[in-house]
Amino acid sequence: MSSLQQLFSKLSVETIKIELMRTAYGNERTLLSRLDPRMLMIWVLVFSVLPWLTHNLTILVGLTLMMAILTYTTKVSPLLIVLFFFGVISQFTYIVFAALFLGNSFMAAVAIIPLTLKVSIVSLCSMAVFTSMDPEKFSDGLVSLGVPGRFSFGVSYGYRMLPMLIEEFQNIIHSFRLRGKQPEKPGVLYTRYILYYAKMCVMAFYPMMLNMAKRTRTTVEALEIRGFSYTQESKEAKKLKLAYMKITRLDIQFLCMTILITGGVYAVGVWFPYYL
Amino acid sequence: MKLQQEHSLTQAQKTMVFILAMTLFGLSKMITEILPQNEIGPIEFSVSYFAFIPLILVSLFHPLYVAVGASVGKIIFAGLLMGDFGGIGEIEGFIELTLAMYIAGLLVRNPLSKWQLAIASLVGVGIDQLLSSIVDIFKVVIGVDGFDAVPGLPESIVVLEAVSFLNEMVITGVLFGLIPTLLLTPRLYGKIEPLLGMKPRERRVNASLGAFITPGLIVAAIFLSFVAMISEFMAEMEVNLAFWSPDFLAQFDGGYEWIAYSAFGVALILLGYVATRLKKRSQPTTTSGNDRAA
Repeated sequence: MSSLQQLFSKLSVETIKIELMRTAYGNERTLLSRLDPRMLMIWVLVFSVLPWLTHNLTILVGLTLMMAILTYTTKVSPLLIVLFFFGVISQFTYIVFAALFLGNSFMAAVAIIPLTLKVSIVSLCSMAVFTSMDPEKFSDGLVSLGVPGRFSFGVSYGYRMLPMLIEEFQNIIHSFRLRGKQPEKPGVLYTRYILYYAKMCVMAFYPMMLNMAKRTRTTVEALEIRGFSYTQESKEAKKLKLAYMKITRLDIQFLCMTILITGGVYAVGVWFPYYL
Repeated sequence: MKLQQEHSLTQAQKTMVFILAMTLFGLSKMITEILPQNEIGPIEFSVSYFAFIPLILVSLFHPLYVAVGASVGKIIFAGLLMGDFGGIGEIEGFIELTLAMYIAGLLVRNPLSKWQLAIASLVGVGIDQLLSSIVDIFKVVIGVDGFDAVPGLPESIVVLEAVSFLNEMVITGVLFGLIPTLLLTPRLYGKIEPLLGMKPRERRVNASLGAFITPGLIVAAIFLSFVAMISEFMAEMEVNLAFWSPDFLAQFDGGYEWIAYSAFGVALILLGYVATRLKKRSQPTTTSGNDRAA
């Protein structure tokens, strides 16, 4: 119990903010961050389809292990890992509980293990890739793959602005709490506290919306001064902007390694197949 | 056609509306991700999203850009940044939310009318939740081997989904959708638009609902929900996506071949669409690219 309390005491808004900032800005030199974004995106696409093509548990476990090791090397923030485990476990228990509730046997719990593994593979590989990718490179990669400029701009904008937005939201909440009064009694099942915080969360979005509108206008006007709309339509500008991206030897080495490991996993799976 | 004029925005204004919806909804979605959830058995008592943010924006600004922006924000903030990216299944959520919020926005003709706001909030959240409930039910129908052979399972799943639908409608739809929308929209009306350099939407726009809900929109809505369903089934059924493999049809049990045929159909339509787009792109005329999401 005490370790659980320790965990929850660490889970403050401040930690979440710092962790997210690390995710958005963390330009640590990991293996994945040095690779070409287009290659990585196609890689993620391949690996988010691949697990769905097989029922072989050996292959699925192998792929999960591979993704877990890869995620470990990219130094993903612990918060994301905790949230990931929480999501997987809660989804698993949800389905098991539903199956038991519906009068089925406990076999349902065993039957959905492959499904859980598949979901984990997809989210682990996207977590590894997207946390280690520089937002700039990510949005440029999207543009070069033909995604509309506004969308790809949204990506990098989201990454960049996020810590600031969270801080601003936190400040607004603080000011609400300073001026407001917490309910004296928690009420039945803490309903009064919950209502108080829920109301505060909603009300905090009122100043937030106005601030965001102002900030958005400033951003877009600054963008237009630098010719954002024009560069979206002009092919030369696009070419110039994307000229720095090229496939290096490291990319090819990485691809070969993944093909080798995946091939190995599949070979083991074919020799020692295990189905549920 | 006054209405059309009112909705015509400059490129920069479209970008502004898009970014505003994206950041606000993305932030709120992230806050709801972090909030603790109370689960009593399979029934969750939690906010799945702050529905009031897209609802307010959709009634104050151009519905399409808000709807697309909100869905993109959800994917970027709650999906990519929080490491919770669902892969192919993410398409379903994107289409459902965009469609629901777009339709909700079309229902509001006068942002100051409480009735219109209330109807739009309930209809918007209702469409989103109903679509996802239907998809969830069909997931179990197709995912479980011999669905009807398990006694009591069909009824239980429908009851479970119905309960969760009601619960979503009460918490997400009313507590975090209807009430804040009714409170905040009149306060924001006329204040937030000048900050983006726009004129507020006029109070009385003389247009009937029929002018909005065109046959094209209905066809697009049905097609998009169909694509959402099919893509979710394909993701959920663990079907071999290799269309060219000869046993592709054989993977479907009797009676469900229509899913395979639909997948072929959807793929064909998408291919045709991409082909025409590419053809258009090779011509020198430039059209605004973001109008295609509807």
